[in-house]
Amino acid sequence: MIHVVYTVAKKEIMDNIRNKWIVLISILFASLTLLVSYAGSFFSSGWQDLEFTIGAMIFLVQILISIIGLILGYGAVVVEVDQGSMNYLLSLPTTRRDVLLGKFLGLSLVLSIPVAIGFGVAGVIIGANVSNVNYEEYLIFIGASLLTGLVFLSLGMFMSCLFKKRSTAMGGTIFTWFFFSIIWRFIIRWLFNLTVGSPENLISEGVPNWWYALRLFSPLDTYSTFVSLNVDAVNWNQSDMSVLFYPSFYTSELMIAILVMWIVLSLIAALWLFKRKDL
Amino acid sequence: MATRLVMCPHCGNTISIEEKPVDKIYLICPKCGKKGVVRFKHKETKDSIILVRGLTKYYNNHRAVSDVSFSVKRGEIFGFLGPNGAGKTTTIKALLGLIHINEGEIEINGFNIRRKEKEAKRYVGYLPERVAFYGNLTALQNLYFYADMRGSNREECKALLEEFGLGEHANKKVSGFSKGMLQRLGMARAILGNPSVLILDEPTGGLDPRGVVLIRNKIKELNKKGATLFVSSHVLSEVQAICDRVGIINRGVLVAEDSVSKLSNRLNLKPKMVVDLDKSSDTIVDAVRMVEGVDKVHVYGRRIEVICDAPSKVKVVLAVVNAGGNILNITTEEPSLEEVFIRYTGG
Repeated sequence: MIHVVYTVAKKEIMDNIRNKWIVLISILFASLTLLVSYAGSFFSSGWQDLEFTIGAMIFLVQILISIIGLILGYGAVVVEVDQGSMNYLLSLPTTRRDVLLGKFLGLSLVLSIPVAIGFGVAGVIIGANVSNVNYEEYLIFIGASLLTGLVFLSLGMFMSCLFKKRSTAMGGTIFTWFFFSIIWRFIIRWLFNLTVGSPENLISEGVPNWWYALRLFSPLDTYSTFVSLNVDAVNWNQSDMSVLFYPSFYTSELMIAILVMWIVLSLIAALWLFKRKDL
Repeated sequence: MATRLVMCPHCGNTISIEEKPVDKIYLICPKCGKKGVVRFKHKETKDSIILVRGLTKYYNNHRAVSDVSFSVKRGEIFGFLGPNGAGKTTTIKALLGLIHINEGEIEINGFNIRRKEKEAKRYVGYLPERVAFYGNLTALQNLYFYADMRGSNREECKALLEEFGLGEHANKKVSGFSKGMLQRLGMARAILGNPSVLILDEPTGGLDPRGVVLIRNKIKELNKKGATLFVSSHVLSEVQAICDRVGIINRGVLVAEDSVSKLSNRLNLKPKMVVDLDKSSDTIVDAVRMVEGVDKVHVYGRRIEVICDAPSKVKVVLAVVNAGGNILNITTEEPSLEEVFIRYTGG
């Protein structure tokens, strides 16, 4: 089992080195971080500290990391099935579980290494140019970003196993992104307006806990909540007023557990579908 | 065709049925009119390396293969034939665990493909009908990857490329390969790691005559070394030339399984005797037609083609001579697989 997982993972990494994905992601994250840190503030010019950078980057990361994760994941199975290479791969002495695990492991590294390098290089450059450096918060931010990336990678792999054709898998992937970044937020806002009703009710009764719980269904909101719980500056950069008054059950541990649960459940569902797929 | 006598459990009437390579035959007793099923136990031998019992696969509501049973003996070349859409590729995919079967059992070298998937596939090399590689990798990198997946030695990859005439293309990306080159590379990949069973789906598809000869010789060579080959092909003459036994599938049902000569005998297909004369005449043709055991006589100028059973051959020769014919040459052509195939598939 291990040698198959390793071989498949290695191939995914080598493929993405060859097609320059890894270099591209590294450069993208490093340059965006540096740009946001250097030119992202309305109030002052020059390099801003890491806390400010995190606060300013969080929205960009939400968009980018989810898109990259989904793009990497959606092709993992369906593209090979489409091309015909999956038939031979699964005729070898291996199982679908091993192949899927190998692909997840390889693509996780394809996503994580360049993001870590990009953020890392930018962090070192910013750190060398500012006096107030909090690397601990920056590392938490990088870790949370990677974890969120893995959530969307596994969701992409789920889409890859769910659909028979590359084009429909692509459609499903685009819908997933829209759902978590736009549609779900509209749904819970609509539910909020429907139940809370007037601003008077909001003042007297406050934001209900169920709303806070539903908000965490989106891994993107779980990610931003996790970062804002751990990085002080982010609280003041969030446009969403609710983050100022988090309920007591909003803890870092819960956020990590939710993100990990998304990864595990998506992978289990992907494997379940992949095992039942006729090639 | 072999017959078997079965007794009606309702009225005791004895019914004669033809033995077919299917598991069950549905009958209506001619005496009492009651319906019944006769089940045949598939002949399994200890030396069967591929064993398929009652394989049934549905795609939605369409039954792609129905109750297919056959076995392939260790060390033989088994031809798997059938018209387009008959269920050949479905059967092959089931053998490799690539599809989920609705009913039946498949064993390779004693390992059940569903329960002992890895162990069963360890013995198998596969050439798919649609050969696909990773286009962004070179031929050698592709083989290295598959050797690593198999856990076999990378060293044989270069030698295999040379063997299939791809040595000079080893470091070229596969995306630029022609259909024939891909087919040869697919064959090299199939025999990587020396598998004891080779499942080849249309092995000569897309190959030029040289490529066909190369693959045909390779199949024979591998067989000589002890490999068992399961070959699905549309080129019937080729199957007849290399296969020890054949299975014919039609509309998802296995309609025949045996050697070509035995299948011909079952169908009462007679050999064709070709007699070349220095001069043909109506008298000679009439004399041949009168011989007992002669089915058909065709005349093409000075050539007479006679469809007759083996014992009548001498009588035909004597009839020609007695009628004043001067024989220049005599050849006999055994019934072709094509004829057997057409008869079994109702074409």
